Amino acid sequence: MCFAVVKTWMPREVPTLADILADARVWRLKDASAAATRPVWSTGCGSLDARLPGGGWPTASLIEVLLGDTGLGEVQLFLPALVACQRSSGSEAPWLVWIAPPHEPYAPALAQQGIELGRLLVVRPAGATEALWAAEQALSSGVCAAVFLWLKGTDDRWLRRLKLAAEAGGALGVLFRPERHRFESSPARLRLLMTQGEHEPRLDLLKVQGGCPGPVDLSAP
Amino acid sequence: MKRQTAKSPTADLFAAPPPVTQRLSLEPLRAAGAAPRKQLWYAVVFEAEPSASLIQRLSRHALRFTSFVSIEPPNALLLELKGSLQLFGSLKALHADIDAGWRRLALPAHSATAPSTLAALWLARAGHPGPVVIDDVGMLAGQLARLPIACTAWDGGWLQTLRAMGVTRVGELLRLPRAGLARRLGPAAVQDLDIALARQPAPRRSFVPRERFRERCDFETEVENVAYLEKALEPLIERCVRFLRERQAGVQTLQLKLRHRTGPPSCVQLGLASITGERRRLTDVLTQKLARLELAAPVRSLELTSGSLRALSASSLDAFAGLAGAAAGAAGSGGRDSAPQLVERLRARLGEDAVYGVVSIAEHRPEAAWRRVHELRLAHPCATGDGIGGAGMIHDMPRPVWLLHEALPLCGPQSHERHRSGLILEQGPERIESGWWDGKGVARDYYIARQIPGAQQFHGARLWVFQERNSKRWYVHGVFA
Repeated sequence: MCFAVVKTWMPREVPTLADILADARVWRLKDASAAATRPVWSTGCGSLDARLPGGGWPTASLIEVLLGDTGLGEVQLFLPALVACQRSSGSEAPWLVWIAPPHEPYAPALAQQGIELGRLLVVRPAGATEALWAAEQALSSGVCAAVFLWLKGTDDRWLRRLKLAAEAGGALGVLFRPERHRFESSPARLRLLMTQGEHEPRLDLLKVQGGCPGPVDLSAP
Repeated sequence: MKRQTAKSPTADLFAAPPPVTQRLSLEPLRAAGAAPRKQLWYAVVFEAEPSASLIQRLSRHALRFTSFVSIEPPNALLLELKGSLQLFGSLKALHADIDAGWRRLALPAHSATAPSTLAALWLARAGHPGPVVIDDVGMLAGQLARLPIACTAWDGGWLQTLRAMGVTRVGELLRLPRAGLARRLGPAAVQDLDIALARQPAPRRSFVPRERFRERCDFETEVENVAYLEKALEPLIERCVRFLRERQAGVQTLQLKLRHRTGPPSCVQLGLASITGERRRLTDVLTQKLARLELAAPVRSLELTSGSLRALSASSLDAFAGLAGAAAGAAGSGGRDSAPQLVERLRARLGEDAVYGVVSIAEHRPEAAWRRVHELRLAHPCATGDGIGGAGMIHDMPRPVWLLHEALPLCGPQSHERHRSGLILEQGPERIESGWWDGKGVARDYYIARQIPGAQQFHGARLWVFQERNSKRWYVHGVFA
């Protein structure tokens, strides 16, 4: 633990550590150290890792992905991280929950990538509110490693709830939304925009807590 | 205690011996028909063959007379009466009491009481009009001797052999030399005779009634408010949980019946993802279901019925689960839920079919290479490779993450030209020809293609397209997301 003591006077008796810590002038670098111990998952793409604080997807947080259209490789961005997470956790692989995906998740493709299908849960709720409720439940349950949610639109209040649920449950929440929501405010830790470039998809970091936004070159190694 | 306080070693010699606290229970032995010499078996043979559920009901009825009831398929019951004599008084009265029960149920039946299981059964099968009660082993051989050999219910071959030998009564059978009988019919026949004469014990399987929890809560006034119903349900759940805990059991299904003043009661069926007896999980599922319920009419009473009880296999708790949760970044209290609990809660609100898993199947046709699974293996993580053999298929080309529900024709039927639809083929072809045997044959060339930006749909997306080889038409089948 790091702490800095601002010394202005010398006490007669030697103070205990507890006394020092109780002093209001001592500033504890508590949050900074906590951020370092929170694990991150490598994205599998060096240029993207380099741009993210900690060098990967932050867990226990909400990430928002704004999409021009489906089929830009948006799920592919997260799959290497999910595979690594499932492999590293041994026999008790954590659950992945996909809520309201736009099409059927194709099992052979996921198996090909290395996802453990026995630990993937697909949820098809009837409406947006149900989907958000399901996402909140899954995020806060503590048994899921990642919860993906596809939504057309939502309001700010629900996003905050999802963020809190993700932080409480220690899960990675990924929200896929259409591009038109890019100018709305969002409590997500990370906001990505995927659009179609000239030849290949273009990834922009709209908001990075603890990093700097800007475009990312996905083709670089 | 005394040993510790004693000063000299000789004090041990005078100390009282430690009391023997271990007692050998004779009940199991007695129940198995082994230890005590004297037993009394009441047998009842029903004329009509009762159904499985009826015989269960009759067995439960019989349990009010004795603690040991055995079902003798197809149509008989055996009751041990020796243990009940003191409670019920005389044997004759008890026998008549049990007989009266069958008469009340309008079941034609014949009964007999004898000191051995088979003797009682054989006597009952003989079908005497009056009650046959034999409580002396000495009289057994004499009484059995008069019975025709058909009463033994041995198989036809044996009876045929015996009739060919001129044996028609059990008495004649008893007079035959043992060795000869064993040679002709096998040792089982001799053993049966020994059992019938109470020379040898015959263990029987005791009938254990199926238990379930059922409790009812009546309201003084009619209730329309669901929140109030939830409150009223709480003590019922509490009692159900206690009931389960006392029996070290869990349930997988529950039924909640809401009775109205008129009309049929509304039933709520609850399924749990795994066997459980935890209050939190039961409450969770019940309240979720109740919250979704639209009451047809005000409710007058609630009834909670459990499904059949299942043995609860307790899983060991992980001592370091909390630590691991904290390490994984859980800010608050880690590991509050379990996977079955989450699935239950989602299913209770969204419906059973809304939550599912997927498996891959070793199959070449893309649309048949996967399916949904609703029975999730929640407790134990499945082995990689997934049983069905998904890992066994190795595809040359990558497969898309999204598979369209149905292949989408590209640019209408008039165009066979792919450049008109704006596709740039990047990889392929992969030829898939399969399924001629079940009438859903396919002959396709699959490509990975990119839609040029500005197309009507999927602009700029990487697609999994195929050309039907017969019609030369192009379809989109998947999206690389």
